[in-house]
Parts: sequence; C-alpha cells; structure tokens
Amino acid sequence: MLDRRLGSMITVAIAAAAVGAVISASITQTSGQAPASRPARVDGKPNLSGIWQANNEANWDLQAHAALPAAVTQPGVYSYDYARVPAAPVLALGAAGAVPGSLGVVQGDGQIPYKPEALLIKKANADHWIDRDPELKCYLPGIPRAMYMPYPFQITQGTNKVHIAYEFSNTARTIHLDEVVGPPDDTWMGHSVGRWDGDTLVVDVTNFNDRTWFDRAGNFHSDALHVVERFSLMSTDIIWYEATMEDPKVFTQPWRIAMPLYRRVEPNMQLLEFRCNEFVEEFMYGNLRKQPLVKHWESDTMTVDITRKIPPGDSFYEWYR
Amino acid sequence: MRDRLSGSMIGMAIAAAAIGAVIWAPITRTSAQAPDLKTPWGEPDLQGIWTVETDTPFQRSPKYTNQEFFTEAQQEEFDKLRSTLRGRDNRGDRGSERDVSGAYNNVFGALKRTGKRTSLIVDPPDGRIPPTTPQAQKIAAADRDFRNALMQATQTCKLKLPGCADGKYDPTPAVARRDELPPRYNTARMNRHDRPEDGALADRCLTIGLPEFGAGNGGGSFRRIVQTPGGIAIAYDVGQGQGWQRSIVMNRSPHLPAGIRQWFGDSRGHWEGNTLVIDVTNFSPKNDYRGSRENLHLVERWTRTSPTTLEYVATNEDPTVWTRPWTVSQEFTRQSEEENRIYYEPRCVEGNIGFPSMMKAARQEDREFAEGRGSDPLFKDNASGFAEPDPLQE
Repeated sequence: MLDRRLGSMITVAIAAAAVGAVISASITQTSGQAPASRPARVDGKPNLSGIWQANNEANWDLQAHAALPAAVTQPGVYSYDYARVPAAPVLALGAAGAVPGSLGVVQGDGQIPYKPEALLIKKANADHWIDRDPELKCYLPGIPRAMYMPYPFQITQGTNKVHIAYEFSNTARTIHLDEVVGPPDDTWMGHSVGRWDGDTLVVDVTNFNDRTWFDRAGNFHSDALHVVERFSLMSTDIIWYEATMEDPKVFTQPWRIAMPLYRRVEPNMQLLEFRCNEFVEEFMYGNLRKQPLVKHWESDTMTVDITRKIPPGDSFYEWYR
Repeated sequence: MRDRLSGSMIGMAIAAAAIGAVIWAPITRTSAQAPDLKTPWGEPDLQGIWTVETDTPFQRSPKYTNQEFFTEAQQEEFDKLRSTLRGRDNRGDRGSERDVSGAYNNVFGALKRTGKRTSLIVDPPDGRIPPTTPQAQKIAAADRDFRNALMQATQTCKLKLPGCADGKYDPTPAVARRDELPPRYNTARMNRHDRPEDGALADRCLTIGLPEFGAGNGGGSFRRIVQTPGGIAIAYDVGQGQGWQRSIVMNRSPHLPAGIRQWFGDSRGHWEGNTLVIDVTNFSPKNDYRGSRENLHLVERWTRTSPTTLEYVATNEDPTVWTRPWTVSQEFTRQSEEENRIYYEPRCVEGNIGFPSMMKAARQEDREFAEGRGSDPLFKDNASGFAEPDPLQE
C-alpha cells in the first residue's frame, strides 16, 4: 500500500501524529469543550471525516527546489540565475514574498516526465506566473492542487458520497462511491468516483479542463488528465495521500506525488471563508476603473505604483538605536 | 470553456438571479426501495440533492387574505397565464435596448408550476413580511433615491418600465450625483459602472448565500446534503452555478467571535428529535437580504418528511430591520443523482466575461461622451434587465 522507500518519512509523520494527539487530548480536557463524536469507522470503512491540511511546499513547486528570494525575480547585478533579485510586484513583501525550499513530493527520480514541447510551456508558465497561474485569479484550483494548497479542507464521509469542501475559493467536490457517470463536459475540479481498496479510498478523477495547474511553478496538464488518488489513514490524525497523474498529451509516462495530510486538531477548528474572487477584483479589473486605484494600464502594459512610506521610528537605523 | 455569462450585458444579472444550474429531474421511487430515513449511525438521513419543484408567491397577495392554499382552479389559472408569458417573443423595437435583453431573458428565464401555498411566508399569519423599522425605512429611502437619480433620464423611466421602479422621469441627467458614493456598501445593480464596487453582488460572483428561498433569487436553487457522524455538509448550487459550501459545526460550541463576519454567516447545528436545527449569525455587512445585513439571525429547521421530501422552515430575525421575526416554509423534493451529475461544481468568476465587459463598455461610452461623439451615459439604461414581472409574485 505505502511506498517502502518512504519509510523514514512515514515514521517521522507518525511521531508527529502521536505528539499531536497528546496535545489535542489535553486541550480538549482543559477547555471542557466536547469534540463532536467521531467513530473510527463509518459504515464499516475508515472514517476520513474532519478538517485536514497539507503542511509542505508542494503548492510552490511539486519538484525539489532551493529557496528563492521571490516568486517573481529579475536579473540582479550578476547575470547568474542564482543571483536574481525580487521583482517589483512582490518586492514590498520582503521575506514574506520569498519561496521556501523543498525536497519535492514527486516520487521516483523526482522529475515530472514532460514531453519536450510541454517542458517549454512549463518554463514559459513559470516566467509568466503572475499572468497565468489560475490561483492568482482565484479560479478553481483543480485536483490534486486543492489537496495541498495552504488552506484547510473538510471531508464529510457519508454512506454513498464523500464530500470535500475547500476553504480556498469556497469550492468543493463530491466523491461518488456509488457509480455516477461523468458529465458530458469538462470541469475545473474533475469528476470523482471512489471505491474502497481494503482500507484505502481510491478515487478516480476525470473530466478535467486544461485550465488548472499543479503549483505556482507553472506545472500544468491538458484536458486529457486522469488522476488516481489514494487516501490511507496512517493514524487518527494523518492521511497518507497519493496521486498518480496520467496525461499522454503532456507527459511521457504517469507520475506520482505522495504526502501526509494532517488533521487540524485544534478543538475549535472550523472552515472559515476565503472568498478570494472579491480580493482579486483590483488585480483582475483594476484597469477598468474610471478612477484608477492601484494600477493603471497603457495598452497592454501595466504599471503598479508602489508607495512605501516608512513610519517614524520604523526606519532601519532607528531599530538599532 | 463555457462563457456562461457572456451574453447580453444587460440581461446578465437577470439570468444569474433567475436560474440554478442544476437540471430539474425528480426521482421516481420504485416500490422495491424501502423508505429508510435514518443513517446507519441512527441520525435522521437528510442526504441527497434537494430542490423546490414549484413556484410560490413570496408574500401573500391581499387578493388571498385568509386563504393559505390556492384552489386547484387558481393554480391552473396561474400556470396558464405564466406559460403564455414565457412563450411569447419579449423583444422590443428592433435595435432598442429592450430588444437585446428581451431576447436574452426569453431564453434564460425559467418558471415552474404554481405551488399549493399562497405565500412562502407562514408567519406572520397574514403571509406578509412584517413592517420595517423607521431606521430601516430611512436607509432604504436614501438608497432608492441614489439609484433613481442615476436612472431618471433614461427611456426606462420615461416609459415607466419596471426597471424604473418607483422613480420618476426627468429629462435632465443628475450630473451632480454622477460620482456620488451610495449611502452604504453597494450590493445591487446601479446605472453606473465606474468600478467593480458599483456592480451587483451577483454580477461580481458574490451572490449572498443565506437565506436561500429559491424564489427570492427568482428561480431554482439546489442543495446537496452529505452526513457523517457529528458532521453535515451542504453544497449549494444557486444563480447560474454560483455554488457555495456550508460545513455545519455540530459540537454545540458557541458562535464565532463577533469580529469575524462572513458572507455565508456562521452555521451551528444540533438535532431536536428528528429535526436538524441550524442557528446562523456573524453575517458580513456586505450581505444584504431585504435590507438586513450583519444583524441577520437565521434559525433553520430541516426535517425529512418522506423518502422524497424534506421540510425546510426558516425564521428571519433582525430587530434593526423588521418589527418582528418572520418565517418561511418550503418543501424540498429529492432529485436524481444521475441527471444532476453535471453542474454542482461552483464556478462563476472563471467565466465572468460579462462583468468586466460592462465596465469596459462604460469606459468606451465615457470616452465617446468626453470627445463629443456620444451622448451622456446617464441617458442610457445599463442597469435594468427589462424583465417581465412574474404575475405570481405581484
């Protein structure tokens, strides 16, 4: 079931889960707030219900990567790629706009097996991240990306459906455990049909469009994408999640990602709203305002006015007085 | 990709409000199916896709005072009248503003059969929304006045079309009020598109979620319920796929802190016998339901009444707006999974070409007016949908 090569990672995760469980139990006792009843099994199957979240860098880049000064960079004083500096759109964020490094979640040799022509598109995507990444427009994130974005999601495991509600963009998908054939149309979140393979929930996801990405690094797919996911409960508070991607238009062979998903064990945890299409109105439509607020356009060129006034007492030297 | 909002700019919000995207297809239960109304863990089973299959007046017309239900003859009469309205060509004079949107509305408008009740409102007993408070009346009047000023010089007001509402025609545009901000955060269509915030919430893909009475949105709404021990998820499909999610908190904990405000509020539920009771507070001040915003308090009662039906009773309370609480009752009918497999993916902003197009067209009109090539945009109605009123909702 689980990849043996991942043994050490799993052990660490189990240890983390054990610690989590202890903390959670003590908090529950002291706060006196009764958690909702959560039996270990629902209708004879492992109970995946609850609020979960990935805790990794996969949404930045599924593949191994060193930390970067920013998601958008420009040449610095040197011509070397490794000496680039943050570019204007994210400059004002300082270290909060930087990209954390990661060993990656792609299994095997860690590479996504792009066809040569597709690899060129991936690289162009990365260069045009701000213009192309659907996440920035608050578009539906697709599967598997919704599973490892830095937002919680809630699984409600019923008898013939497993519903997953995602905090990001207030979206969701229903995994049909009863056979429901796919729509005669493509979708952003895919059409999910699940079955139990022993204690593992296996979900077949089809009917994708070609608009969603895998991460902020420009990794993409076509409308021929077919995803097979595996959800295995490693402990009460950890799901081992795997997804195998197959897309003969873009990849030379199927490839697989794997990661733990952690239960949000805070006793008061609940999904809140992240209705980001409101947040991106200036980003999307700022150029259509009668009176520009933040950015303005000359033909296809956008100018963003970055005004950063340093309040008295907050300048660099004043901090060290 | 579907450009589901790319039709007539003017008709867009009408369509957005008028139809849910899910296909209406009732389940026909075979006699072999046992009506098991409990989940394996013993809770009442509310699971499935549910909708209201009929249209009911929101408030009771004075014509039916003391009459809670229509007679069959009255239902038939309404069905007949309304079906003729939909079938006809609603277009206005060729090339007029009304022409384009009339044709669009004719395609997108949807009506269902007339239901049994003479009003969705079951309390107060007269079936009508209670009077609003003086404060709420004052706010509503200021809002109306602002909107009417932007409309006053249009043909819509000259011809006294429904889009002019209670406004009056004045051939002189209200130039002095052109750049005025609305009296409070805007939630509805206005005859100006200077910025995204001038748009109606539905046009911005920010449709309010609750309360959801279907008819209040002008047509269909669908909800899928999935249950697990101690948890309930409700996925809504409303107004052209503007779906949204509710995860009902079932652990008897108190509502969110008052400082956290949400578009869809904060839903906390518990079982009272066979009824799921959900208490909803913490609404955002950007919501607007008939004048009620952050002080709205909604209490919903969901009861499975038969294998194919679910009763929904919701009480609305906001002492800053209504002089007393009022209650709506609806009966949902279970819908086919197979027929509805296509559209419960909530997508809206992904294909919302109509909204930026409205602003883009407005900038074009601004330019033409400034350069002396076009008339003042205030003469033109870019707000009302020219929709025919539903005689059932008068």
